[in-house]
Amino acid sequence: MEKILTKKSFPAWIKKLQSYTVYSPEKQENLWSYEVIQNPDKLNLEHLNTVLAPKKIIYPQREIFLQFNTSKEGKPQIKEVLPEEHPAVIFGVRPCDAKAITLTDKVFGEEPKDPYYWSRRNQTILVGLTCNPPPSPNCFCLSVGGSPHSKEGLDILMTDMGDKYHIDSLTKKGEKLIKAAENLFKPASSKDKKELEKIQRESEKKIKREVKDIKNIPDKLKDMFESPFWDEEAMSCIRCGICTYLCPTCFCFDITDELTSTLPLKGKRVRTWDTCQFPDFTMHSSGHNPRPDKASRLRQRMLHKFQYHVENYQDYLCTGCGRCISLCPMGIDIIEILNKVIDHE
Amino acid sequence: MVNLEEIKKEAKKILEEGKVKYIIGYAKSSNALMAAPTFVKKPEDIDKLIWDPTCFQNLVKFLIDEKRKKAREKEPDTRPIGIFVKGCDSRAINVLLQEKFITREDVYIMGLSCEDVGVLDKKKIFKKLKGEKPEKIEFDQRKNIVISTKEKTIKIPLKEILAERCLECTSSFPVISDVFWGDRNNRSPKEPFKCLEQIESLSQEEKWDFWQQQLSKCIRCYACRSVCPMCYCDECVVDSINLAITADTTAEEKAQKIKWIEKSPESSENFGYHLVRAMHLAGRCIDCSECERVCPVDIPIRFLNKKLEKVTKELFDYKAGLDPEQPSLVSSFKDEDPEDFIR
Repeated sequence: MEKILTKKSFPAWIKKLQSYTVYSPEKQENLWSYEVIQNPDKLNLEHLNTVLAPKKIIYPQREIFLQFNTSKEGKPQIKEVLPEEHPAVIFGVRPCDAKAITLTDKVFGEEPKDPYYWSRRNQTILVGLTCNPPPSPNCFCLSVGGSPHSKEGLDILMTDMGDKYHIDSLTKKGEKLIKAAENLFKPASSKDKKELEKIQRESEKKIKREVKDIKNIPDKLKDMFESPFWDEEAMSCIRCGICTYLCPTCFCFDITDELTSTLPLKGKRVRTWDTCQFPDFTMHSSGHNPRPDKASRLRQRMLHKFQYHVENYQDYLCTGCGRCISLCPMGIDIIEILNKVIDHE
Repeated sequence: MVNLEEIKKEAKKILEEGKVKYIIGYAKSSNALMAAPTFVKKPEDIDKLIWDPTCFQNLVKFLIDEKRKKAREKEPDTRPIGIFVKGCDSRAINVLLQEKFITREDVYIMGLSCEDVGVLDKKKIFKKLKGEKPEKIEFDQRKNIVISTKEKTIKIPLKEILAERCLECTSSFPVISDVFWGDRNNRSPKEPFKCLEQIESLSQEEKWDFWQQQLSKCIRCYACRSVCPMCYCDECVVDSINLAITADTTAEEKAQKIKWIEKSPESSENFGYHLVRAMHLAGRCIDCSECERVCPVDIPIRFLNKKLEKVTKELFDYKAGLDPEQPSLVSSFKDEDPEDFIR
């Protein structure tokens, strides 16, 4: 269902969504971040890439699994903690970040399904925004099967058309959101649709960076496991977690017990994000570490995204958002690495 | 004036002579506003070397990797590593020498004076560009930066977009080197701790609120620790392996290791992490501010380091990294050291 909403009426729509927690990108000093909207009138969808993807709302960095409690006399008590379910809407979702959620859906959707992830995921409506212009100079969604106006994973796709938005409702969840303020929307005319097509064509042309010959990357990588290439490429890596923590598709986690008291034993079992870039990620309890150096960890990041995930799920574990490039302190550039992989003999 | 061609000539010479194992320098990256570290092994590769105010990184960090790598090799190449250092970076080398982490023979120090400039502050440029993306940048006599975006070309005096640390820098040239380019003019900023003024004027409650808000942003990517040339411990209290495990370590010992700081990015844990990090830099931080530069969520980490630097200066008249022979602050004392702050 294609509709038109004037920018003037946009805050009125948000105000009708009181039964939802509404998130949108908010500029905090120099950075953009998805936050709960306090004032719909101040809403602005001209955001550059947010530092963290909306992944942080569906799959937060810290999740409590259970609480445990022992006392001298009684039995130990264990209480499962499930997220409080509350419907949420995220506005201004970039198509790459929405596609990333479809990728984590597959991983957390494997049996046994992850109840923590899904309780949020099922309650969250994703309202996307066509990227025109691209929100980062390092966008390369076109190379990894996405596009600045891709609908994958979205419930609604909004496109900025000057003083109005083109609203493309894609799912039942999306329809429901529009129904909440139906009188604000007008049907899109054939002229609007033509303009939309033009904007979409233009938006694709504005993506400047690309990975060449990506289809051959998975095969190429298969023969590169032992290559000294990784030692060279990882020389300037400092082993921080930026590339993976900011990645909209990375999903690895750790589970630890956090004690609030040792006698009596009390605490929580929590899940926190973890990253293959930290040395202790693969540390065995014997002290042996199968990925002992940064070269093997960079290789893991590349191979997981462009070989293993393709083998397991037939898709790249990368949606071309460019965050890992823009924020790598040392200028390590995933596009340059992939292009070197293709040229590698 | 530092002349890049002269640097390249020296680089070529020492590589050809086999005097160094390789050279750690700067090259262009895919981001016009930031250089990337480069590791030059062959004389024919020297043309990728650059030197300009986008050379942010403190390359001394890579000497730590080199030392670890060497320790694993059966017959390591013991030639020194050629390394580009700015004024602040050279002080990091001094601290590593002072702490006997490296020896003087491990490095061939290629000192580069920042002269009257320094490095850029990406956040300041971001503000100037109002979100537009730089396509190309050029430096005009090390006085101005000329940034071309798709829409326009703007010229900004470098002074307006230099990193805070460079504006407050007192020794903008390397204090230790084997070869040296540029001038040795001392700078004397009127207020070397000016950045602290505002935060020091806050009440205790206001300070608490400020740090609560700032540190709640931390995602514990540990980039601030990872980039720090002073952070070289084999085991770090924030890692889950903060215990040296050998074949003899018992399960009991592993199970009972103390977890100082939990992995959760909760306020208490973030405070724990950042305070431990800062305290371990007392008398060691040389103010390269790499920690603050790399922070993806813009936590003003430099305030913590700078405060320690100020206290160290005021109480003990100590400045880190000026002399590799000076005793380290936390392992030495003088009879006249003040005690009245001990409560």
